[in-house]
Amino acid sequence: MDNLDAARMQMAFTLIFHIVFACIGMVMPFFMVISHYKWLRTKNPIFLTLTKSWQKGVAIFFVTGAVSGTALSFELGLLWPKFMIHAGPIIGMPFSLEGAAFFIEALALGFYLYGWNKLPKRFHLFTGVIVGISGVASGILVVSANSWMNAPSGFDYINGEFLNIDPVKAFLNPAWFTQALHMTLAAFVATSFAVAGIHAWQIYKKRNIPLHKEAFKIAIIFGAIAALLQPISGDLSAKDIAQRQPVKLAALEAHYETEKGAPLYIGGIVDEEKGTVSYKIEIPKALSFLSFGDFNAEVKGLNDFPKEDRPPVAITHYAFQVMVGLGTLLMFSAVLYFISLKKKKWQESRKYWLYFALLSPIGFLALEAGWIVTEVGRQPWIIHNVMRTKDAVTPMPGMIYSFYMYVVLYIILTISVTWLMARQIKVLNHTDS
Amino acid sequence: MLYVVLFFTVFSFFLYVLLGGADFGAGILELFSSADHKKSIKKTVYSVMGPVWEANHIWIIILIVILWIAFPAFYNVIIIYLHIPLTLVLLGITLRGVAFVFRHYDAVKDRSQLLYDRMFEFSCLVTPIFLGMSFGTLISGNIIIPENPAEANFADVYIHPWLQPFPILAGCFFSALCVFLSATFLIGEAKEYEKRMYMRKAGIATFVVVILGFITLATGYLEDNKFINDLLKNYYAIGAVTLSGILLYPLWRSIRAGRTIWCRFLAGSQVLLVLWAAVGTHFPNLIITKTGPVSLLDGMAPDSVIQVLGISLIIGGLLILPGLFHLLKSFKMIKILEDEKN
Repeated sequence: MDNLDAARMQMAFTLIFHIVFACIGMVMPFFMVISHYKWLRTKNPIFLTLTKSWQKGVAIFFVTGAVSGTALSFELGLLWPKFMIHAGPIIGMPFSLEGAAFFIEALALGFYLYGWNKLPKRFHLFTGVIVGISGVASGILVVSANSWMNAPSGFDYINGEFLNIDPVKAFLNPAWFTQALHMTLAAFVATSFAVAGIHAWQIYKKRNIPLHKEAFKIAIIFGAIAALLQPISGDLSAKDIAQRQPVKLAALEAHYETEKGAPLYIGGIVDEEKGTVSYKIEIPKALSFLSFGDFNAEVKGLNDFPKEDRPPVAITHYAFQVMVGLGTLLMFSAVLYFISLKKKKWQESRKYWLYFALLSPIGFLALEAGWIVTEVGRQPWIIHNVMRTKDAVTPMPGMIYSFYMYVVLYIILTISVTWLMARQIKVLNHTDS
Repeated sequence: MLYVVLFFTVFSFFLYVLLGGADFGAGILELFSSADHKKSIKKTVYSVMGPVWEANHIWIIILIVILWIAFPAFYNVIIIYLHIPLTLVLLGITLRGVAFVFRHYDAVKDRSQLLYDRMFEFSCLVTPIFLGMSFGTLISGNIIIPENPAEANFADVYIHPWLQPFPILAGCFFSALCVFLSATFLIGEAKEYEKRMYMRKAGIATFVVVILGFITLATGYLEDNKFINDLLKNYYAIGAVTLSGILLYPLWRSIRAGRTIWCRFLAGSQVLLVLWAAVGTHFPNLIITKTGPVSLLDGMAPDSVIQVLGISLIIGGLLILPGLFHLLKSFKMIKILEDEKN
């Protein structure tokens, strides 16, 4: 592995972990606040137990998210100094606002965690709401910085220099809204299904059923709604990419030949050497329609782009298939959940709970696949059509060792966080409520 | 607006040193304490720093973000040539943060607590050493910026500059400074019978800080370090360092008299005076390489960026600082009320 690939792997690896921690830290406060609100309303001790248990989860994930985020803020520079020296000032605005939002989140969480029986009840609940809102805000701001790499704007690139910088325009780049919407919904889907799945498993195992049923109810509703909205946001994203990054669209569809009325490929095995896709299912004219809203629109194929400007096709295509496939599964599961609200009998079946338990990792798998599509699909560029990733990497050799260090560190972190969560649940099942 | 940005740069740097430093110091105090004291320190630290523990460490993120937005060329030198020590700092920050939260939020309190404690204490010791080393390297004049990075010798460029007596001493000095801050900050929070313990520790820490500070300066002087030489020639800097030394006497008096707020104020100002002396003498040429100084203002971001950043910082500051103040204050109030009840 050369230096560039090692740096890429390290970035990918740390992001893959950070995204999980960050999403949970972003969404779980909402569950916690709802449960807290129900406790204040009903005085049912189940909700107090649940709130306190979720709050520990929030604290643990907030800190792992915060430290892995601190690491990332350094890594951007450590790994891609040539990128940061130019891009830093341009996309500084979302980053500085994100710093502020994150700071507010930390302060609000301090109030919340330590405010039990000390702060006025409503104010205490309110600080919990602030945790959630500022968490989502910082997520959106960071995604805006990422979307700028896909849709660079707010500067003029003249003779290798970045001139006439307009940070506000860079912040509100053409891709920020579609990307931020898609990611926020994805965070809710992934976290909700994961949390609901964990509680469904406990119900399946017949442990402290009343508590876990309430927990499931609170968690799933967010995910179910978000999963139904996600296809709409996905459609917006696809149309946006078709306009701005046709090469990415071609790669994620593994579409080699430019044609009018282009078919949509589902599945298939990509041969990048020959530029063919075998064993795929074809839906005629669907790609043209989905990308441009016109069955006969022309979709550019990969062969129209010079080889050195194409992203790795196979990875992007497979990741895209995984994301869409799993997203669709979750959408149907959401429908299933809403039907089960009418047909109460379903919820008495253990199979129902097993089904939702098995779904718990699916949202996160879809989310990671989606990020692989965005990031790998942007290659070979770090700033689309402006700077190549290979020109941004640090001159320091030996990045592979740094990569190994992060692999070891994050694997240990993941194991310990999982272990801690398992212990939380065990204790939760032994409380009398 | 440049002044607003510079103000926030210096402000977040100072706050990180004071608050983050005191956090690190608490862990080091724990490390160098007997088993009985460990427990009580752990408890005190948790009650004092618990609510703000994460906030203290966000200052470094703010600092880094300001640097890369407003002073990208300056930041580039730091981030390329201090890659290894900074990676080790990150490792330490990560382990420290998770150990702190694990030991308080693990649902089961069993022997794994011992592991968290060791992890917390050890990373609290190591992280400020590498932070201090990084700062020491920047001002040491050891950094080599090769003309052709591809042909540069790895060890010469990426290892030797920071693995030298002066940066290592600077790291140890910063660690000791953290303990000094932490011990003086904690005296006010401690129960009566523990106060003596903290006083003794504060005394030892002060002694170590003064000795290490002297050795670090002497090493810099003997190595003919430009930064130190200039510092020793600058009357303001000497004045600041001397004043910081003189303040030890009132500090000692207020520790004896149990004047908490004064203790903190004095300890904080002493550290700030030393930092001010270090940063002030050479501003804006804060990095000194083998071939010459690198100015903070070299290759600065264009005006449009500085404007927007300044406004963002003002807005952020207006939102954050009252919250932070309120957080510190309300928990302080609660603590006082509880103490009265007991």
